[in-house]
Amino acid sequence: MSNEHTVKSYEEELQFLKDSLIKMGSLTESQLSDAMDAVIKVDKDSIDKIIKSDEEINKFRSKIDTQIMNLLVKRAPMAIDLRETISSLKISQDLERIGDLSKSNAKKVKPLPLDLPDELLGNLKRLGELVMKQLNDVLDSYVNKNFDKAKEVWEKDEQVDDLTYIAMESVIDFLSKDKKNLDFSTHLIFATKNLERAGDHITNIAETVCYLVKGEYLKGSRPKGKVIQE
Amino acid sequence: MSNIKIKSKNLNVYYGDKQALFDVNLDLNEKEVTALIGPSGCGKSTFIRCINRMNDVIDICKVTGNIEMDGININDKDLDVVSLRERVGMVFQKPNPFPKSIYDNISYGPKIHGKGETKSELDQIVENSLKKSALWEEVKDRLDEPGTSLSGGQQQRLCIARAISVNPEVILMDEPCSALDPIATAKIEELIDELKKTYTIVIVTHSMAQAVRVSQKTGFFHLGKLIEVGKTEKIFKNPDNKMTQDYITGRFG
Repeated sequence: MSNEHTVKSYEEELQFLKDSLIKMGSLTESQLSDAMDAVIKVDKDSIDKIIKSDEEINKFRSKIDTQIMNLLVKRAPMAIDLRETISSLKISQDLERIGDLSKSNAKKVKPLPLDLPDELLGNLKRLGELVMKQLNDVLDSYVNKNFDKAKEVWEKDEQVDDLTYIAMESVIDFLSKDKKNLDFSTHLIFATKNLERAGDHITNIAETVCYLVKGEYLKGSRPKGKVIQE
Repeated sequence: MSNIKIKSKNLNVYYGDKQALFDVNLDLNEKEVTALIGPSGCGKSTFIRCINRMNDVIDICKVTGNIEMDGININDKDLDVVSLRERVGMVFQKPNPFPKSIYDNISYGPKIHGKGETKSELDQIVENSLKKSALWEEVKDRLDEPGTSLSGGQQQRLCIARAISVNPEVILMDEPCSALDPIATAKIEELIDELKKTYTIVIVTHSMAQAVRVSQKTGFFHLGKLIEVGKTEKIFKNPDNKMTQDYITGRFG
């Protein structure tokens, strides 16, 4: 039995939606990576470029919204097609939020001094790398409809929480040594928190991929690591 | 948990040498709507025609296996088919009112089944049936006009009124909306929602969206076999069978 829709244009519309989401995903990845680099290297020149790329991501989001509306109206998708359509809506929302957080991180580079000590940024760098890996893995799991991989990402959010805790501690340590550090340390604390939030959106995407593939939501509560009291 | 109103067990139907149904095991819950879907010629209409023994009128048709209503074998040769059809009403794809007045269309059934002996009793049955089928307000002042003078949607509701006039327990609907416009369809669907409080309903439909809207349970037939049956929500969001998924998503080659 054929796997293609009898109506070719329906097949094309679904494929177009998937392609748009993949493009949006890879744009979000680059932006997150650029924003991380900008923070770690205190690279003030790249701030504008990162803010600009957020506009691109937002445009994708509205383009995907329109595609989804059209699909719902024209095709009334069922079963896997319905899950594909609804999942795209949810994933694009999470990607857009990750984009916003990256933009926010890029903006935090401006007030940072150029001579930040390595030991301060080391943990933040590790956190950024982990979040990048998580985003990369979850997008892979979406492309390959890989339930196990998505679930792995979901479980690994615990490590993101733990690293966030460690990175926060190192900033707070640094801050407590000299009150003069207060201003830019606050920005670093927010940047760290933003990465943790990006991690949460990645976990959302992982849950959506699991639902997309199996048609059931993951059971049980999310694994949680150490959390800084808000 | 709903009671099972109709139960088929290893139901087979043959039209001469051609087998139309293969070992169908399907339970229909009381006061619930069951939708039957599948490509043309898959056996869904054949299945519902077993419930009121409509297949009896086809000489070459042979039915084996069991089909029970309230535990009684519908297929029993000694069963009184007329009283079975009093309990199991049917509405067809094309509205088919009798070439009689609106009033007579409804009163005919009760009369031949010995219900409504006096004029006032019959009047009451006609009014109740038309009210239940949401047609009363539209026709109460012209009950003596021919049924065929009504619009398609009204004619179909007239046929539903005719089916419920003998107070059945089950209503079979074979693509009842396929000849109707969206508004008339919506009225029938609204009516089905209302009727399911009183009757067990089986609807054959080619509209997936309609099956989702009106039914609680859905069965998918293919080439005479019941491929999958389950809660409607489950069938349309996450069916177990790949063939079901291919059919409802429009991937059937």
